[in-house]
Amino acid sequence: MGHSRLKFLGVAGVALMLLAACGSSSGGGTTKTFKIGLVTDIGGLNDKSFNHLADVGLEKAKTDFKIQGDVVESKSGDDYVPNLTNFASKNYDLVIGVGFLMQTAVGTVSGQFPNVHFAIIDGAGTDANFNDLKHTNVQSLFFKEQDAGAMVGALAGLLEKQGKSKKPAHVISAVGGISIPPVNHYIAGYKWAAQMEDPGIKVLVGYSNNFTDPAKCKNVAVNQISSKSDILFQVAGGCGIGVLQAAGQAGVYSIGVDADQKDSDSSVIASALKKVDVATYTAIKNVVNGQFQGGALTFSIANDGAGYAIDNFSVPADIQTTLDDLKAKIKAGTLTPPADIPA
Amino acid sequence: MATGPGPRLASAFRRVAGGFAVPLGSVVFAFAVGGLIVAITGGNPFAAYQGLMCGGLGIGCANGENSALQISTTIVFFTPLLMTGVAVALPFRAGLFNIGAEGQLLAGSVACTVIGIKFSGLPAPILLPMVLLGGTLAGAIWAGVPGVLKATIGAHEVVTTIMLNYVAQWLVRYLIVGGPLQASNGFSASSPIGAGARLPLFLPNDPGLIIFGLPAGVYRVHTGLLIGLAALVIFAILLWRTSLGYEIRAVGQSQRAARYGGINVARTIIVTMLIAGAFSGLAGAIQIAGVDHNLTDKYFNDTTGFDAIAVALLGLGSAVGILFASILFGALHAGGSVMQADAGISSSLVQILQALILFSIAANFLRVLRLPAFGRRPSAPAPTAPAAALMTEAAKAPTGETT
Repeated sequence: MGHSRLKFLGVAGVALMLLAACGSSSGGGTTKTFKIGLVTDIGGLNDKSFNHLADVGLEKAKTDFKIQGDVVESKSGDDYVPNLTNFASKNYDLVIGVGFLMQTAVGTVSGQFPNVHFAIIDGAGTDANFNDLKHTNVQSLFFKEQDAGAMVGALAGLLEKQGKSKKPAHVISAVGGISIPPVNHYIAGYKWAAQMEDPGIKVLVGYSNNFTDPAKCKNVAVNQISSKSDILFQVAGGCGIGVLQAAGQAGVYSIGVDADQKDSDSSVIASALKKVDVATYTAIKNVVNGQFQGGALTFSIANDGAGYAIDNFSVPADIQTTLDDLKAKIKAGTLTPPADIPA
Repeated sequence: MATGPGPRLASAFRRVAGGFAVPLGSVVFAFAVGGLIVAITGGNPFAAYQGLMCGGLGIGCANGENSALQISTTIVFFTPLLMTGVAVALPFRAGLFNIGAEGQLLAGSVACTVIGIKFSGLPAPILLPMVLLGGTLAGAIWAGVPGVLKATIGAHEVVTTIMLNYVAQWLVRYLIVGGPLQASNGFSASSPIGAGARLPLFLPNDPGLIIFGLPAGVYRVHTGLLIGLAALVIFAILLWRTSLGYEIRAVGQSQRAARYGGINVARTIIVTMLIAGAFSGLAGAIQIAGVDHNLTDKYFNDTTGFDAIAVALLGLGSAVGILFASILFGALHAGGSVMQADAGISSSLVQILQALILFSIAANFLRVLRLPAFGRRPSAPAPTAPAAALMTEAAKAPTGETT
């Protein structure tokens, strides 16, 4: 009894598989539903920053392509490996890890599932020493943060030069979270462009050594304000909200980062954008079109993967013209913001 | 007591059943309220709990999940809870509230990492015991400080252990963000510990070896599990079969009576905290040696030592209880992700469930402490109605385990 039922199930299963195989070959491959798994880092979907943007990219892809998109939020660093493994073990077509915190986890899991495609925002699949393992099934989605930093840096420099900031003294500043490459890229572009527009400008750079606690960033910001900085660029994620608030309380300007932060504080005049949604969407599109490639894919102003937004501020027309001109030059490659913070 | 083996066994069973009633009730209550929350917010509670069961225990998977993988993840998650649970439960028995298991765990992780990096060339038979012992010692010291302060100047251990949690968290932060342990690549993490400092896995990380349809490396269960289970056995023996255990329980009952009975209360408090910290520090060392292999920024936000408080409470401070409570918390942790992926219910529901369990167990806990079966105080104050049945039931039970 039990055996015959099992046998029947087996036969039915094989028949179904054959049917499925026929379906996909005769239908020209268009019937396949691609399965996409997105794993957030500990920031969660409501971080108003890159986890949120990655989800926006996934949702957009859902409307444009025939995909099944599933999201899992990591509650702690312990969750990265199991969350990635869960999707990979179910043979998802693409598993996306959001953020460099997941680099080692992506490195480990991509090694165990060489036939599953992985993409990681802001990082690579690495070993425990953060050396890129160069697995061919891993695509790194990097950003030229310096492009976005340059746009807001130019705005800050022009405002200082023309005396249109709140307390013009040719001093602006940036608050970084931790001194790591993605943070320093932003600050590099910011300082470079500000110095280009206002050669006499002084750009203060401080670090909070923190990405989550607004109080830490507020301390750094208050110090910079007392050193006459009246435009503050936050490059510290959730911690940086403290920078925006400190600027608001002192009546000076601030600049947001990664996502559009105009709602975080009224002092935010602009935001440097890292278009994680564009990157996520592109990675999914590549898999759907069969164009997935291992290695790095870099998003910049040139491919609309980086940019800026003007927030609670109306930009004078001449400044806007200069900004448009700068953006066009960066896009064309005639001007290249540096990746390292200039002297 | 002149009772035969028959009634003794029956009463022991009654006592155990009575002991399980409160925690079991708390879990049922939490799941009922959690299900209600899901239903009210427009989700399907049955789909949510199916996902949770699948992700936690590998039962009833409907979307192609691998049961063995889910179970192995749960084991990895609950292993450190076994030891940190003891670190909270043992001081409970002495009337001390150790909120510092997290700090003690971090101290153990740091010590394990430092030793594992500095002596990375040593072979496993020497280095592995070194890192585990180092972590154990560091945890003991971290808990010993509040113990000494409590015993000598009466500083409240709740305050001092909480404060030492912060010290440990910020120490970790300092060490790997710009401090001496930070690897040279600019990320907030230390270098990995030497190969000899790593706890062996039950299954080799060999890409060619396929077990239950997946490469063996995905099953991350490590031999720290055996150490955790041994810790529970040691805890039970220590508490019920040694004179130190007797002293700990006596101090927990009444310090004055214990002192009158010739017990050195100050010494007992210090020793209790040292042992508790040792268990927690060992857990921290095992997390580094068995799972992570380096100190990373994940330890900033680690909550194992705080979950341990819930585990110890839910397990009513007993070894068996801690085992079951750890499994439950590990399963909830692991199950949340599958629930979110399959049923679309945010894995935050897991934190809601944990909080509800803790809430209802805390509401009951003080009463449970007065149970003769638990606290061994026959002259309990007049109980209130719902607890009365449980308490009289338990009061009938003869005390079989002690003198």
